[in-house]
Amino acid sequence: MKQFRKILNFELKYYFKNKIFVGITIFLVLLIAVVMFFPRISPLFKNDADNSSEQLPVMLVKAYDRDNADIVYETFAAAFTDYDVQITDSDTKDIKKAITEGDADSAFIMTAPSEYTYYVNNLSMYDMNTETANSVLQKIYQMNAMVEGGMSPDKATEVMSIQINSRVESLGKDQAQNFFYTYIMIFALYMVILLYGQMVATNVATEKSSRAMELLITSAKPTSMMFGKVIASCLAGFIQIVTVFGSALIFYNLNKTYWKDSMIIKSIFNIPPTLLLYMLIFFVLGFLIYAFMFGAVGSTASKLEDINTSVMPITMLFVIAFIVVMTSMSSGNVDNTLMKICSYIPFTSPMSMFTRIAMSTVAWYEIALSIVILIGSTVGIGILAAKIYRAGVLMYGTTPKITNIIKAVWKA
Amino acid sequence: MILELKNIEKSFGQNKVLCDVSFKAEGGKAFGLLGRNGAGKTTSIRILMGVFPANSGEVLIDGNPIDYNKVGIGYLPEERGLYPKKIIIDQLTYFAELKGMEHREAVKAIDYWLGRLGMTEYRNKKLDTLSKGNQQKIQLITALAHDPDIVILDEPFSGLDPVNAMLLKNVVKEQISKGKIVLFSSHQMSYIEEFCDSIAILNNGKVVLQGDLCNIKRDYPRDRLVVRCENKQSVMKDFKNSSLTEKGDVIIKLASVDEKKAVMNYLTEKYDIDSIKVLEPSLNDIFVEYAKEDK
Repeated sequence: MKQFRKILNFELKYYFKNKIFVGITIFLVLLIAVVMFFPRISPLFKNDADNSSEQLPVMLVKAYDRDNADIVYETFAAAFTDYDVQITDSDTKDIKKAITEGDADSAFIMTAPSEYTYYVNNLSMYDMNTETANSVLQKIYQMNAMVEGGMSPDKATEVMSIQINSRVESLGKDQAQNFFYTYIMIFALYMVILLYGQMVATNVATEKSSRAMELLITSAKPTSMMFGKVIASCLAGFIQIVTVFGSALIFYNLNKTYWKDSMIIKSIFNIPPTLLLYMLIFFVLGFLIYAFMFGAVGSTASKLEDINTSVMPITMLFVIAFIVVMTSMSSGNVDNTLMKICSYIPFTSPMSMFTRIAMSTVAWYEIALSIVILIGSTVGIGILAAKIYRAGVLMYGTTPKITNIIKAVWKA
Repeated sequence: MILELKNIEKSFGQNKVLCDVSFKAEGGKAFGLLGRNGAGKTTSIRILMGVFPANSGEVLIDGNPIDYNKVGIGYLPEERGLYPKKIIIDQLTYFAELKGMEHREAVKAIDYWLGRLGMTEYRNKKLDTLSKGNQQKIQLITALAHDPDIVILDEPFSGLDPVNAMLLKNVVKEQISKGKIVLFSSHQMSYIEEFCDSIAILNNGKVVLQGDLCNIKRDYPRDRLVVRCENKQSVMKDFKNSSLTEKGDVIIKLASVDEKKAVMNYLTEKYDIDSIKVLEPSLNDIFVEYAKEDK
């Protein structure tokens, strides 16, 4: 136990004295500070000249006849607030030229009340202008029809612009609310496990290749070495996450009033405390199970160069788990069969069960079962990893074959 | 204190590495563990240190199974290596603490050894900024700082310049005089000859020769004389069975050991002799003879 504490201390010190570790943490905190303070400090950089120079992109609209030009202008200008809508009489050739030369961003040339051609220089993937134009033109058409049918123009306008009052009450979770913080937490989990897992593997392989291992194995028990190293990296990763997220929370609270209009930012900082508890549980267990595997693999590599190929299967497993979760999240259905299966597989459950808890409603016994399986597997993998480590650290020369490792572990 | 390895057997898979290895090392004396590459020296040392268990056999201290909590072992591995990117004092204290020392006493002991080996100025530097010889001296501190009862030195002199070698010799002599068991493993026979009272030669996992070095040498037939004199040619003419060494000494092979005294008297009376002695085999000769492939 004393040896374990010494190793844990030594390894933790390694992280805190590591310039890259400290540098990245400080960089992330500063980056978050800049983002969080941005709405407060951004007016300081603005002056009047900036305001006047802020020009909206020009959208040219050619109405199908002069009589309707006014109403077309009004409805287009109301629908496309991000554009400087201008009515034009020029012919198609000039309009095209204006667009290619950059004088205008896009143009609608109408040939009939329900027919137009949309011109744009580069069609963006997210260009929704035709959809907006369609609904605008439908509205004009319907209004005209109503007026022709004998309804007064005011009444027609009233009918067309009727406001619907609605309320949504989600009895489970609201995905619009929890999507962003779940996304951020899953991403943090992914980054930390992958980065620190690789660090553990590299760390072990470095000790082996620098032959410090020769001295270590005669000074300390392999189990103490392995657990000391893995738990130190877990603590370092956890401290880094807490520092980054904690500072984000502090900076947000300092600038809360400046963010009151941003729903996304508000939803990110509206994490329920129970979810933070689940995050802690799944972070620790997920981290440990992967770090044990990374440590064991690191111990079987003889050279530092071998590490990248040796850890590939573990990295792949983890990346697949991440992709499953991410695609399920963006599809909006986090309770699909694959996610349900993944919630009980210990290598994928830290991310998939956590996502389901965050974004859907999961019964307590399902959560309990998933956590119990994860704890059991973490302990099992820990014991196995310690055995591989014991056998692996003494194997020099070429990277041993899997069969040799299994044999060595069997005898250990 | 007496350290004894008794009937140690060890196999890795089908590969039998140690076969009935037994030897004894005494406190206050240096013991040389010799053998060619792959003979089983490192495996013997690892079993002795408890890194892995033997398939059978025992490691005894004063006749009782070794208790690693009570017996301190210092080890200088042949494959040198510490943490190249870490501060020297940090890693030295780490290793001393792993051996059970308290932080304060570890720092004190390490500062003593840094001073003793003339390395104090490197205390707060990273290891990889040091020369190879100096790195080796730092590594030596990991073997000695916790004042172990058994000191195991695997090729301690390789890579050291004559001045540092002398420094290390003095340290080793001091450890021996303190009554510790010093176990040497080296291919540099001259150092083994200088320090070790007894040796064991391993070949293919078996002990092929062991015992007190003087006795081993004495056991060789004493039928050759080394003669140093001015008129070598006349001596060589006088004795048909003679040859000249590189150093210019005449070696006379006697027909039998019994005529040694008579020949010595004859030589001293007839020639102007500087010195005359019985030729003893060097450890190198013994090693080559016993560590041959077919042994």
